[in-house]
Amino acid sequence: MALLHVSNLHVQYKETIAVDNISFSADQGEIVGFIGADGAGKSSLFHAIAGVVPFSGEISYHNYTYHSPKEAEKIKPYLGLMPQGLGLVLYPELSVKEHLEFFIDIRNLKKDKALQQYTEELLHMAGLAKFTDRLAKHLSGGMKQKLSLICTLVHRPQLLILDEPTTGVDPVSRRELWEILQHQKEHSLTLFSTAYMDEAQRMDRVHLMHEAKVIAQGTPDSLIQSAKPYTYEGVYECDTCISFQNRTYALSTLPMPHAKPTLESLFFINALQHNAIPPKISIAPRSKPLDIPPIVMEAKGLTKRFGDFVADDHIDMQLQRGEILGLLGANGAGKTTFIKMLLGLYPIDEGDLYLLGKKISSAKDREDLKSKIGYMSQNFALYKDMSIKENLLYFANLHHIPLSIALTKIDELASSLGFAKYLHSLPKDLPLGINQRFSLAAAILHEPVVLFLDEPTSGVDTIARAQFWDLLHQLKNRWQISILITTHYMSEANFCDRVVVLKSGKKIVDERVDKLFEQYPWAKSFEDIFFYLYQKEKT
Amino acid sequence: MRVFYSVFMKEIITFLRSWGLVAVVLYSFTLDVYIAGSGLVITPRNVTVGYVDEGNSITAQKILAKLHPPEFQKPKRFLSQKALLDAIFDKKIMVGIIFPKDFEKKLANHDHPQIPIYLDSTAASQAYITLVYLQNILLDFSMSQKLFDLKIHKLFNQNSDSKMFISFVEMLSVITMLGIILTAIVFVKEKEDGTWDILLLTPAKSSHIIFAKAFSQVTIMLGGIIIALGFVVLEVFQAPLNGSFWAFMLLSILYLLTLAGIGLFIAAASQTIMQVAQLSMLIAMPLIFLSGAWTPIYSMPTFLQKLSLISPLRYYIEGSESIFFRGTGWEDLWGYFVGVTILGIITFWYGYKKIGKLF
Repeated sequence: MALLHVSNLHVQYKETIAVDNISFSADQGEIVGFIGADGAGKSSLFHAIAGVVPFSGEISYHNYTYHSPKEAEKIKPYLGLMPQGLGLVLYPELSVKEHLEFFIDIRNLKKDKALQQYTEELLHMAGLAKFTDRLAKHLSGGMKQKLSLICTLVHRPQLLILDEPTTGVDPVSRRELWEILQHQKEHSLTLFSTAYMDEAQRMDRVHLMHEAKVIAQGTPDSLIQSAKPYTYEGVYECDTCISFQNRTYALSTLPMPHAKPTLESLFFINALQHNAIPPKISIAPRSKPLDIPPIVMEAKGLTKRFGDFVADDHIDMQLQRGEILGLLGANGAGKTTFIKMLLGLYPIDEGDLYLLGKKISSAKDREDLKSKIGYMSQNFALYKDMSIKENLLYFANLHHIPLSIALTKIDELASSLGFAKYLHSLPKDLPLGINQRFSLAAAILHEPVVLFLDEPTSGVDTIARAQFWDLLHQLKNRWQISILITTHYMSEANFCDRVVVLKSGKKIVDERVDKLFEQYPWAKSFEDIFFYLYQKEKT
Repeated sequence: MRVFYSVFMKEIITFLRSWGLVAVVLYSFTLDVYIAGSGLVITPRNVTVGYVDEGNSITAQKILAKLHPPEFQKPKRFLSQKALLDAIFDKKIMVGIIFPKDFEKKLANHDHPQIPIYLDSTAASQAYITLVYLQNILLDFSMSQKLFDLKIHKLFNQNSDSKMFISFVEMLSVITMLGIILTAIVFVKEKEDGTWDILLLTPAKSSHIIFAKAFSQVTIMLGGIIIALGFVVLEVFQAPLNGSFWAFMLLSILYLLTLAGIGLFIAAASQTIMQVAQLSMLIAMPLIFLSGAWTPIYSMPTFLQKLSLISPLRYYIEGSESIFFRGTGWEDLWGYFVGVTILGIITFWYGYKKIGKLF
């Protein structure tokens, strides 16, 4: 009999089905992963198991069976839950040490030598031993997550539920978090959810989730193997296959060699199996051709300070015509600040900025350029009380686009970006992927020359992300648009022409992606290179 | 102009679709005004009276007979002074009257008997107004030979009805609070949602955006004022409208622009709706208290009286009251118009400058 046994679990909020008939069992010593995009149902599943939301179905833990949050009270002493969100369980005004003491007190633990030793060990592993007096609000995103994790571990839970503990955490802290988990893995059963496919390799078993269902489960290797028959090398045009990044997925046999699949491949195959092939995206050429200078943006020694804190420290950067430049780095490395300086949303403290060959020294210099720049912010910021069409019309008006042109343009973008049937819906009723594409539509409505995208892909499911990147490449090829994009997904660096890596406000890498792979032939993925360079550069 | 129009319409549509906000505004302009008008009573009503009559005096009974509903409840008899004081302490009785043993005798001998009265002054205004009532009753009673008669003419509010006054003043206070908050919210909501940055990156002129946003809220407020007047102040409480309705509307528009200016300033200083709420309270409360809305200006300390000159609400209230109750004509209203306009120009200019810096 397994330690945890979940059968026919079903969670529903009003109309929405969050978890649809999921069953699985897991044993002590295992790390069991749930991978999927935002809204796939991972959090609801975890909340049901932790007994904090009503559910139907049956869960048994250590032969104790429960059907409701009330019955689940009995397992709570054995449970450790870390909810989603950076530092959500922390109190900003308490120090690291006070946090541990607080969690020891609310768990009513006996303060003996063994506990003392255990907490010191935890602090050491989390790399927080030197910062015990620092207040939580002054910790970085990665440190916050590590502190949250050791606070959850302090009572040695036997069932550890971690809901996206690595989202928004820099790669270095992510590795440390995993080390802590590996270390205490024998004593407990760990349920782990994440949006990063690359973390799956460290898990014993993986469940891929899509729209409230588990679409595949097994060991990471067996899952990848199972996708092999459907994965082909190269691009192929047909109605019943999906091509993305030089790979084609099809259920039928294609006259092409097979390629090594990844976990992401499974999402494409699932879409094929459920006949949910995403619409083909195709961008119409610019309505009038533009003369674009070879260098679209040039920053020389751009610096931004907030009090004593230097957010961006003398950064040089160049963005060429028709180039996709990926801006990578941990939370708080200065990516968003840099983009906001380029856009004029933050004043520049030091350094020179040239946009489209023109030196920017005052807000007035930007006035003429506003029609040439497109920007999409982190949370797809659009008006929630207005339909998609109203939103787009509103922006068209603010961009002085004549009404008749705006209306045709909106229809054209809606059909080419695949959200035509949602034009009259409110953004809040639509999936994230649709909102993402329609935010992009708002950003390119006025046919800009350069596009600044701040984490446009976070939280969006695999297929929507693939479509989005396809779209960006089309914009690059057909419009000669230049794109500066920030992302947390290391794998997305492969889709960029060049990457710049920031660390604590300093530029540490600025190189073409293919050159990087040439320089570091041992690297299996871009993350390996990133990690290597990031570690090399001691701050 | 197209930018102005689309921003204006967008704000109106957004307002109408956020039903929570619509409900708050509707509530403030109807039920809130109604509750204030009918709940805040300044004349004594249902006052509880207790008494101790040590000498079983007949005169005492005659006096007590004058305390009748609806102002007073039937006086309750207590057997000792202590029992009466305990009852006052327990908030069972608000007014305690004691008729001493020798009350009747002294009265007969013209020996100025004393009647100790105990008042629960925690209900301050009620207690003092009750005291005035009691004094009048006793005065009437003791002055068998009146030296003179008072003939009182109540002007402008013949029935001394406080309800319509209070509902009217409450409406003006609601206008003050909401006028500031609504304007600030349309800006800060965009900051919270992150749409602000995108707005800044469009080539639309900042002046068009600011004016369109401010005017959209002024329009919404005017709608609220008409609802409050039509349904509550004029209809339920039957306040008179002796002057020109249009004079009042014009004065309101000027006043709303003043408030919009304050709202712009708050919007510039706040990052979240929460901060808007806090700052609005901080600014609107002194405006309301200094305006003479709840305390007459002449009974304020001198320096506060001087300070009240810079409360735009003071001119708005005095002007509106003149229009409604006194029926003052246009020619005599110019002082109020000038006051609101000058303060309006100053606040709007300052707010505009502050929010304009963010563009």
